[in-house]
Amino acid sequence: MSDTFQCGDNTALVGYLYDECDPVERQAIETHVGVCAACAAELAALESTRVQLASWTPPEIDLGFAVTRPHPSTGARGALSEVEGQASGLRPQAGALGPGPRAWYRQPMPAWAQAIAACAIFAVGVWLGVERGRAPASAQTEQAAAVAQESPAASPASAADLAALERRLRTEMVQIRGNVPSPAAAGARSSEGDAQLLARVRALITESEQRQQRALAMGMTQVVNDFEVQRRVDLAQIQRTLGQMEGLTGAEVRDQRQMLNYLMRVSQQGR
Amino acid sequence: MTWTDEELVARSRGGDVDSFNQLILRWERPIYALAYRVIGREDDARDVCQETFLRAFRALPGFRGQAKFSSWLYRITLNLCRDWIRRHRRAPTQQMPEGVDPLDLAADRGPVESIEELVARRELSAVVEEAMARLPEEQRTAIVLKEYHGMTFQEIADLQGCPLSTVKTRLYQGLSVLRRHLEKNGRVTAQLVKRI
Repeated sequence: MSDTFQCGDNTALVGYLYDECDPVERQAIETHVGVCAACAAELAALESTRVQLASWTPPEIDLGFAVTRPHPSTGARGALSEVEGQASGLRPQAGALGPGPRAWYRQPMPAWAQAIAACAIFAVGVWLGVERGRAPASAQTEQAAAVAQESPAASPASAADLAALERRLRTEMVQIRGNVPSPAAAGARSSEGDAQLLARVRALITESEQRQQRALAMGMTQVVNDFEVQRRVDLAQIQRTLGQMEGLTGAEVRDQRQMLNYLMRVSQQGR
Repeated sequence: MTWTDEELVARSRGGDVDSFNQLILRWERPIYALAYRVIGREDDARDVCQETFLRAFRALPGFRGQAKFSSWLYRITLNLCRDWIRRHRRAPTQQMPEGVDPLDLAADRGPVESIEELVARRELSAVVEEAMARLPEEQRTAIVLKEYHGMTFQEIADLQGCPLSTVKTRLYQGLSVLRRHLEKNGRVTAQLVKRI
């Protein structure tokens, strides 16, 4: 036993364990441990515990914090976004102060542009409503039903179908024009009486309404077709994404099954 | 060119945010590891890490370099961890799963480590983490600072605000408790048998 170490002085053993003691004390402890089984066992147990501690590692996560404010002395009350985590794990380059500018189409639209867009949509809606209001409701409903039957939404019309529909409409319009007497002729026959004139005016109004309804039906058909095409594109995209996910999941399940089989084999070999 | 911490701090105090980001890049991993090992929760440790740098950034104009920048960061982190523990008033919870996830193993499997070794290491890590969570905060912090951050007794004493002898006592008591817990799980005994 040495003058600088007392048997059972565990704090001195800790200093020796971490190599933070002066050389004289270190020599004294080494000498003592050589002859004292209790202190030797204590020291070995502490060293062994330290070895075990080395196995503990914190989980690996993406941190990527970065200051996004330009200057620290400008006041930071409540500004938790000063140090922001980059979820993607992509660290900004040296000199970059946070995430880079977003693409123009991903930037938020200014308030004035949003207001203009809202006004434009509202105006179009009002115009459509006024145009529809000029025609009798029953006629509109019947016409829309007829159009819906002629052009089912389930099968989008092709360009050829639309062209054929346009030709047919034009033909009908020409026939109607041919049957309707011109205003000059109507004036010449003013003697036929107010009843006939009134009937012709009504016929003109009816034909005009029919033309407008057909135009509206064509527009609606086009909208329905566009919607259907977009829906199919979206469905195809979703299906493709699902397929990729299924593939990934299947691969993971296969790996897991292989791993379990391997572990089973290893455990059976151990027995 | 690699700047020292002191140089980066000086540049940051002059308004160079990029220099402070370099300090973050240099120290975020150790700070996160310290917070995780003290409070034992992954998400909360991340929050503590972020709050540490935020506070350091705010307090940077007042930092005169009396201590090392890293010591200053550690002090902020430990204060935040202490606040967190005081708020929760319970032992750190374990996030390590009870069993071993084969998928996780497959993802982490290295080219040289066998599955058996990996499983053993994971199990041991879980046992150590559980044992560390049972320690009083002062002992756990002292062990973390010594074992995983390589601080001297004096640095730990400065951070914990206690005499150097107290640090040694905390380390010895903490290691002894850990040893008993690990022995109970059949960990240390095997090592000792091998050594003897």
